[in-house]
Amino acid sequence: MTAVVEVDGLTKTFGTLNAVDNVSFTVEENKIYGLLGRNGAGKTTLMQLLTGQDFATRGGIKVFGETPVENAKVLQNVCFIKESQKYPDDFKVKHVLTSAPWFFRNWDREYADRLVDDFRLPTNRRIKKLSRGQLSAVGVIVGLASRAPLTFFDEPYLGLDAVARQIFYDRLLEDYAEHPRTVILSTHLIDEVSNLLEHVLVIDEGRIIIDDDAEDLRGSATTVVGTRGAVDAFVERREVLHREGIGGLASVTIGALSGAERQHASDAGLELSPVSLQQLIVRKTNTSSTEFEQSA
Amino acid sequence: MTTTTQTRNSGGELQRVLNVTRLHLTNKFPIMVLPLLILGFIFLVNLMIWWLVFSAVGPADTADASQGMQFSGASTFIFVYMLVVAVQAVNLTFPFALGYSVTRRDFYLGTSVTFVLLSIYYAAVMTIMASIERATDGWGFGGGMFDVIYFRTENMLLQFVLFLLVFLFFFFVGAATSSVYVRWRANGMYVFFASLTVIVVGLAALATATESWGPVGEWFVTNGAIGVALWSLVLTALAAVTGFVLLRKATPKN
Repeated sequence: MTAVVEVDGLTKTFGTLNAVDNVSFTVEENKIYGLLGRNGAGKTTLMQLLTGQDFATRGGIKVFGETPVENAKVLQNVCFIKESQKYPDDFKVKHVLTSAPWFFRNWDREYADRLVDDFRLPTNRRIKKLSRGQLSAVGVIVGLASRAPLTFFDEPYLGLDAVARQIFYDRLLEDYAEHPRTVILSTHLIDEVSNLLEHVLVIDEGRIIIDDDAEDLRGSATTVVGTRGAVDAFVERREVLHREGIGGLASVTIGALSGAERQHASDAGLELSPVSLQQLIVRKTNTSSTEFEQSA
Repeated sequence: MTTTTQTRNSGGELQRVLNVTRLHLTNKFPIMVLPLLILGFIFLVNLMIWWLVFSAVGPADTADASQGMQFSGASTFIFVYMLVVAVQAVNLTFPFALGYSVTRRDFYLGTSVTFVLLSIYYAAVMTIMASIERATDGWGFGGGMFDVIYFRTENMLLQFVLFLLVFLFFFFVGAATSSVYVRWRANGMYVFFASLTVIVVGLAALATATESWGPVGEWFVTNGAIGVALWSLVLTALAAVTGFVLLRKATPKN
């Protein structure tokens, strides 16, 4: 596998705040990555650093083997769709669609037109008159139709309704299958995208706390439900990610279980259920930071 | 069908720069048409006022009246408008272009090309209007809107160069000012305008203290419009370099 992005000891400081704190990871070619984390965790800053829009305080970034900062050779192959993207005053949707092909060599005009229809976007309307959802649709269309080898989507569907979001997921997967590329998607709606993602990066307070294959991650935690006594006995000496209970019942989230352990649990009258990616991340980003470092 | 999206090293440097220029000119109406419509409207209003004045003063005082109509500042608007165009180009098109994966350097060069092209375009319009104004003796009323006192040169080519230099000045000063904002936001603006005020007031105080307002005025008279415009190139170049240096380290913020 070829690494498209290599980040080593990356730090970005704003005043006394470490928005990105000594982060290292690699992104492999032709995979869909989820960059997940809470508001203010450092997702946007990290993406801005990777696309050369911001400057690192310390550490190294290599995109396609070179620094992205002011590097046209690298940036020509990158598309960064930002939730807060600004547009020139008085620009209409059609102006965006006219100008985008000059900057993205893989731009597919027909595909862009199809997407415009899918999202029911009025091309003759001014960008500043668009609704929040329509504005997001403009970004999504540019991100998909540009077919850049490395595409970033930063919260691409703010304000998009459920139907439009589903269109986005479907089109992304279809197009990705035909034109493999590397996609890095940042989002809050973890469960919605969880089936799309092949690899998950979770950032919290500027640090990468999870860098794992999505499939492995989904199997990495189990919830054990049963009577308090039985549950307590079963989870003893295991790392507990989360615990809740009502009366004599308890529900405890722990790590992965082997087949024998599952059998053992079911013999003890306990119910086992898988933990969704979203729940897992909520559990992990809620515990104290020392626990993260141990588990990460 | 599976076609891997290959990384491409496409488009030479010049092409990349010109793409930014095209980007600026994508929506032509607000920067190439609307200013002319406004200018045309101002011109019509001026024509009506001249006609009103002429009808009122009677034939005996026409010479005196046209003397008073040599300068109205009516065409100043177009220069200020271009300053605003430059401000918007940096404030809005800069973050937009970076979203299109344009380097800051390519953006600045492409933007500068745009400014030069627009300056040529508007200088040509102004020169043509000034020639007609001169040939028709102030549209038949002795009025002056394009061919105004002090800024008048005998040679029409020089007149064109004069307009060109003034437009370039407004574009690059607008871009540099906007760069201060894009780089340091509101705080940058406070410091910038405070410093500018101090410098201007300081220079005025200096001129007063050394009793050199006379020589200052003389300098403007001796150099003439074209001389002053040529000197403005120093400020224009300074603004152009400043804008470039500031934007090279600027980050598009929310």
